[in-house]
Order: sequence, then structure tokens, then C-alpha cells
Amino acid sequence: MATPTVSKSILDSDNIRYDASARTRWRLGFDRVIGWLLPLLFVVAIAPILSLVYYISARAIPSLSWQVITSTSPYQTDAMGVPIIGTFELMLLATSIAVLLGLFGGIATAEFLSERTAGWVRMSANLLVGTPSVIVGYFGYFTFVIFFGWSLSLLAGTITLAFFMTPYVFRTADLAFTSVPSHIREAALGSGARPYQYILRVGTPIAFPQILTGIFLAMAIGVGETAPIVLTTAGGKIPPQTLFSPVSWMSSLIWQNFAQAPSTGLPTIAFQAAFLLLVVVVSLNVVVRIISSRYRRRLEGLYA
Amino acid sequence: MNEDRATSPPGAPVLSVRGLSVLAKQKKLLDNVSLDFAPSSLTAVIGPSGCGKTTFVRTLNRMVELTPGLRVKGEVQYVGQNIYGAGVNPVLVRRRIGMVFQRPTVFPMSVFENAAFGLRLIHESDDEVDKAVEEALERAGLWSEVKDELNRSALSLSGGQQQRLCIARALAVRPRVLLLDEPTSALDPAATQRVEATMQTLKREIVLVLVTHNVGQAARVSDRVAFLHSGHLIEVGETAEILERPRDPLTQEFITGRFS
Repeated sequence: MATPTVSKSILDSDNIRYDASARTRWRLGFDRVIGWLLPLLFVVAIAPILSLVYYISARAIPSLSWQVITSTSPYQTDAMGVPIIGTFELMLLATSIAVLLGLFGGIATAEFLSERTAGWVRMSANLLVGTPSVIVGYFGYFTFVIFFGWSLSLLAGTITLAFFMTPYVFRTADLAFTSVPSHIREAALGSGARPYQYILRVGTPIAFPQILTGIFLAMAIGVGETAPIVLTTAGGKIPPQTLFSPVSWMSSLIWQNFAQAPSTGLPTIAFQAAFLLLVVVVSLNVVVRIISSRYRRRLEGLYA
Repeated sequence: MNEDRATSPPGAPVLSVRGLSVLAKQKKLLDNVSLDFAPSSLTAVIGPSGCGKTTFVRTLNRMVELTPGLRVKGEVQYVGQNIYGAGVNPVLVRRRIGMVFQRPTVFPMSVFENAAFGLRLIHESDDEVDKAVEEALERAGLWSEVKDELNRSALSLSGGQQQRLCIARALAVRPRVLLLDEPTSALDPAATQRVEATMQTLKREIVLVLVTHNVGQAARVSDRVAFLHSGHLIEVGETAEILERPRDPLTQEFITGRFS
């Protein structure tokens, strides 16, 4: 078969320029249209976010002071020291539980459970992610507040929030461990590592950045949640003293202000709380970006 | 033949590399390389790991641009047109200068659709595609093995068959140059032999540029050897000449296996 039998101009043309053929020119025009359309759609997509950020900042920043953020006086209605402390404590506890459960769950589904069982666990986690947060809140209310009799408390809030956050950590941990390249996994097991040794020494360092991303993502989602907390712990006037004291929470501060005066508009304090939450969520997302880009570079060689 | 076919004097180089440098952030991956590729020839590019052989072939069809952070200086002339010149479409460059990679890169489709991939992108008619696929598989030395199972998944082929299918896929759009980047490094000896036989037939028809770290392979299939070392083209010449009487001590050391 020394000489090709098919002869077709477009295949045999040695013209490598953009204006090689009418078809290339048409494609180039199409390319240009798309090139304009994409930035336009980008603007359409981010305009609502930008206007929201502006709407909140314009009402929050002028009156925002150190005193507003730090004052923990119990009956002050224009300071948010108490909800900030409450949010911090709740997040710390809930994140610890979510990380513990999510991480072990992810390792279990990725490494130890049968495909069948792992499939069920993954499906449950996905379901939990898709559950409206109000439902999670009701579940927490009936189970912990009423049935266990913990009343509106730090403990009830913590566990309910942990329920909400765990599947996010779980999903990234599961994905992180299953996406360790199989030749690396087999090399570790093939040099006589026990499964847990493989996980500790080889799997975790590789999966770590992705897991960390998941943890920060879960925190960013958790800190903005309102319903699970409003229903399980609310209205603490002072920072919680025990696990059974009520806690005040940043986003429920916004909600309560709205519930009390839906028609007169939100007071400045609600906008300030919203603004701080926005800052926290954006910072968490930035941290995620930094971590994942830094580690990705370090692990690049693995996938060659 | 049609009028678009570039006319050049017989024996004039199809590809001509002029003062080519590739710069990464802090390092020169290739330093001022100049080399011509005559029609119907097989040039083996050899050298130790990290010497820039892969970077070199990737500059020959602008694949290098897919790696962010690299800058290319100098010229690569394809039948008299600088492929880095203004107004040149890299897609059309890659149709004329095809590429096959280290590991077989078959797509999860049938054998037929894999071979037809490039043609489908150009919207050839079905008749045309049928003919071109058969021809490409024939040229890649795979036709007799797969002609009765064209609808089988390409993933079920053996590694060597997959690699020849990749060669067929590249050949189907009838390039004048085929770049082969260590095409047998993932294959067993029998499969390697088949691919080498395919290369030997093909080099009578088109320009082949073979990157290999295997001096034996260069000796078996190439007409000409170019030795690269840390981004420099150390020497180039007839295969027997370079492998038996290298002029440069670095080449000498490499082919006698003192470093790899």
C-alpha cells in the first residue's frame, strides 16, 4: 500500500494557514462569536454576586467598628461578640465531629467496604447532601432537643450541624482515596504494607490536599447554615457555659432580626453579621484554592 | 494531487528546524537546535533522559504549546512555511504533522471509530472514511488482525495492537510527517518488533521522527541519528556512522551505556 488510493483536497492540502479553506474561515468566525459570547455570559453570571456583595457591604461597613465585633455585653442589640463566640465554638466542635466521621467513612468506603456496601454508604451521603437543611434541623430538633431532652443547647446544635457537614467531608475523603493512582497503591501493598500502613504512609499524604479542601468546603457551607441551628439551639444571650447552654449563632442573628421585624427592614447589625459571614466564607474558599494549587504541583509527577 | 500541495524540489526537506530554542521559567530545555528532515526518511532522536528529546518532537507540530509556561524561539519550516508564523493554524499543522505517544492512547470507542477519529473531525463522507480507515490500518500493519472485528472496543486490543491503532489513527488524515515519542517503551519485545516493522515500511512513504532511548532500536530502524544532550544537538549523521564512530565523547559515552 505505498500510494494512497483516496484523493481528497482537504486532506492533502499543505496549506496550514487559517485562511486555508472556506470551512476553516467559517469555523474561525464561529470561534470569534463564541469568544465574545463567553465573557458576556460571564458578566451575566457574576453580576448578581457582585450586586449582593455591594448591597451588603454598603450597609455594613460604614458603621462597622471593633466594638461591634468584640462587645459581649448580653443585652446589647448592636454588637455581636456573643454570636461570634458561639459560632466559633459550634463550628469547632461540629467540624471536629464531621472530620472524624467523614474521614473514617471515606477511608472505609474507599479501602475496606465491599463495592456493594460502599455504594449504599455513598448513596446515603449523597442523599444527605441533597436534604434541605430545614429537614436536618427538624430531625435535630425532634431527636436531640425533644427526644433526648437536651433542650436548645450547644450539644444539640453541634451534632445537628455535624450531620449536615459530615457528607461533604466524607465525599471528598472517599474521592481522594479512591483516586490515588492504582499503581501507587499496588506498589505499597506489593512491598508488604498492611492496608492501614498504606493508608497512613502513602495514601494519606497523596489524598491530604483534597481532604483538606473538603474540610474547608464543609466549613464554608456549615458556617452559612441557618435552619439546623435556629431549630436546635438559639437565643443565648451570653457565651455558652456548658454543653447544654443555648448558643447564639451568626446567621441566626440575621434570621431573628428579620423574624422580629419583617416589614421595617433589617437593622444594621444584621448587615454587619452578613458581611462578616461573607468575609469568612470567601476566606475559607481562598484558603481551599491556595492549598489545592500548592499541593497539586507537588503531586504532579504521580500521574505521569 | 491538487494545487495546494506545496511544490518543492525533490529531496528538499519537508521539515526544517532553524535555531530552535525552548525556554522554561529558569531553564533552557532546547538550545539553538537546527536540523532538516528529508522526505521518506526516519530520523532517530536519542539522548539521556531529560535531554529534551520529547520537548524537541513536541515543538515540531506545536504540541509544545499545550504545556503552559514554555516559550519557543526560532523557526520550524514545514515545506517552506514557518509553523510558528503569523496566521498559521496549529490544528492544520497537526493534521499534516501527526503524533504517536509513549503509551497507547486509544479512545473508548470501536477499532473503526478510533481509526476514523481524525477523519470524522473533518466531516469526510462515509465512503471516504471506510476507504481511508482500511488504508490507514493497512499502512499501520494492523488490518489483517482486526479486519473482522472493526466494531470491537479498541480497549480490548493488546498493547501492541493499540499502539499500531494509534499509528493508524494518525495516518488516517494522511500526514506527511509522523512524530513517534518512544512508541515502544510500554510494549513487549514481540509487539515492539511489529511496531518497528511498521516504521520500516512507513519510512518509505513519509517523514518519521522517532524519539527513543533505546540505541538498539535506533540502529534497527533509523537512517539517521541525532544525539541530544541537555538541550544541545551534539551531533547528527548516518545511523551507522554515529553509532559506530561517534565524534563527540558524550555520544560515545551514551551509546556505550555509561550513562542513561
